[in-house]
Amino acid sequence: MKNEAIISIQNVTKRFPVGDGEFTALKNINLEFQRGEFAGLVGPSGSGKTTLLNIIGSLDSPTEGDALVLGKNISELSHKESALLRNKHIGFIFQVYNLLPVYTVYENVEFALLLQNIPKVQRQKMVMEALEWVGLASMADKKPDKLSGGEGQRVAIARAMVKKPEIVIADEPSANLDAENTHAILKTMRELNENLGTTFLFSTHDEKVMGYLDRIVHLRDGAVEEDEIIKSKTTNQ
Amino acid sequence: MKLAFQLAYKNLIGAGLRTWLNVGVLAFSFIIIIFYNGLIDGWNDQAKHDSIAWEFGEGKLMHSDYDPFDPFTILDGHGVLENDQLNDLTPILLRQASIYPEGRMLSVALKGIDANQTILELPTAALKNSTAEIPAIIGRNMADAANLKTGDNILLRWRDKGGTFDAAKVTIVDVFETNVPTVDAGQVWIPIKKMWEMTGLENHATFFIANEKYQPSNILDWKYQNQEMLLSDLNEIIAMKKVSGSIMYLLLLAIALLAIFDTQVLSVFRRQKEIGTYISLGMTRSQVVGLFTVEGSMYSFFAMILGSIVGVPLFAYLAKTGIGMPAASRDMGIPLAERIFPVFSIQLIVGTILLVVIAATIVSFLPARKISKMNPVLALKGKLQ
Repeated sequence: MKNEAIISIQNVTKRFPVGDGEFTALKNINLEFQRGEFAGLVGPSGSGKTTLLNIIGSLDSPTEGDALVLGKNISELSHKESALLRNKHIGFIFQVYNLLPVYTVYENVEFALLLQNIPKVQRQKMVMEALEWVGLASMADKKPDKLSGGEGQRVAIARAMVKKPEIVIADEPSANLDAENTHAILKTMRELNENLGTTFLFSTHDEKVMGYLDRIVHLRDGAVEEDEIIKSKTTNQ
Repeated sequence: MKLAFQLAYKNLIGAGLRTWLNVGVLAFSFIIIIFYNGLIDGWNDQAKHDSIAWEFGEGKLMHSDYDPFDPFTILDGHGVLENDQLNDLTPILLRQASIYPEGRMLSVALKGIDANQTILELPTAALKNSTAEIPAIIGRNMADAANLKTGDNILLRWRDKGGTFDAAKVTIVDVFETNVPTVDAGQVWIPIKKMWEMTGLENHATFFIANEKYQPSNILDWKYQNQEMLLSDLNEIIAMKKVSGSIMYLLLLAIALLAIFDTQVLSVFRRQKEIGTYISLGMTRSQVVGLFTVEGSMYSFFAMILGSIVGVPLFAYLAKTGIGMPAASRDMGIPLAERIFPVFSIQLIVGTILLVVIAATIVSFLPARKISKMNPVLALKGKLQ
């Protein structure tokens, strides 16, 4: 399953207009991620972690260079095509969970499947399976405001995983969690990575998260400072 | 699209009070618009019906010298029709006269009418059956204005065909109730045969009222006006009333739509992270625009349901019992009943629903359009201004 480049970043530069000038968030980045990797972009604030993840997630596009995700060049995708890519192949986990407040846990997880027009019976099975992965099957009827931070993030993981995407992008997933919940959600994600072969890409500066990663790409001032491969990671840390 | 409706429904229900405030205002607009138009339509129907029944019949054949809006034409605006031209017509001769109730002089329009006529609802049978020398019938407004009642004798002065004044006592044999002021206010009705004797205008008429069998033809010195022409003034008054009334309900509708517009603007601004989440989960921007537009237009569907719950029993009750009109409003010179029965037609209801739904959809779409230009990354951060 591994040794297949699922993400290929080639000479990617990203600039943002700031006032009359420009801010360069990414400078000529070259990276590849293999299918099934459990990798993280690490660096201080402003290092370009989130910008790179947004490009990989087809929420943004590079100013220069090519970002190939599942063989598709992000810059060349139409709005509809990038929406389809996100809907079918990419799951997102956000720092503040971004659960839809008026929906129940079940409905939040079901949302991505609704967009794929999956039949109701199959949807129910998939949603409950995803909720069981994160240990929240019994809370399916609760609204997000009744959940703790850890539970909320686990719902977000279930929502990202329910469609069994090839890539999950997790932007600072532990930023609002205590140590216990951080370890809990990381273990869950690691299990899903190993069991389903999903590629996980994190942005973080949390050392607890780094402890679970197979590979750490250090970014500083928009450039790759170090690409560190860490071997022999297990789920029992 | 089905998904947009499902999501919009959940979002609106989940939004709670904000949704129900908008729905409440919109439902109120629905009810007011339908009520007001129903009232006008009811008045329209009643006024037309009463005008035809009491004044116009199927049409009027008027002497070409007579102009209903020019009192100076009464003196000479009359003539005679050949016998073979009188089929299906009831003659009415109009002269100016004065009466003297309680010693005061009151100018009246003296109208002679065939006592055997059946075209108009005027109770002319009372003239036929009376043994009085000169029997007369008058309307309730006239009776009130002159302080007259059935059985009263009153001095009437008129001019004959030579212009000589003459006077006689007339007897009020009936006071009729009508909503049509033009056959009531300032009018005294007597048998036309008696009037011919009094004026010396044998077989003359100012105009004829036609029944449904009458076939209009060109007759020299006479002009025919059908119902449509006769009702045109009334239609214009009602159309004007509708326009003036529509300003009121358009203002009300504008307030309701403004509430939806504001809610949508606020939603697009406050729900940036939600919009970013939708996009990150795989919705296209146009799908999100569609979702927000459907949310806005769904207010009108909810308002329709709420409006129906409140409005249907209310309208059914009003259509059955009618709405009492103040007595003063009956002096306006147009047919106005004591009670108006509103008419809530299917066209009115469907038209109002379409108006509100389309307007709500448009005002929802306008702010939602911004989403199509939204940067999802900034939206996810909630950083859009």
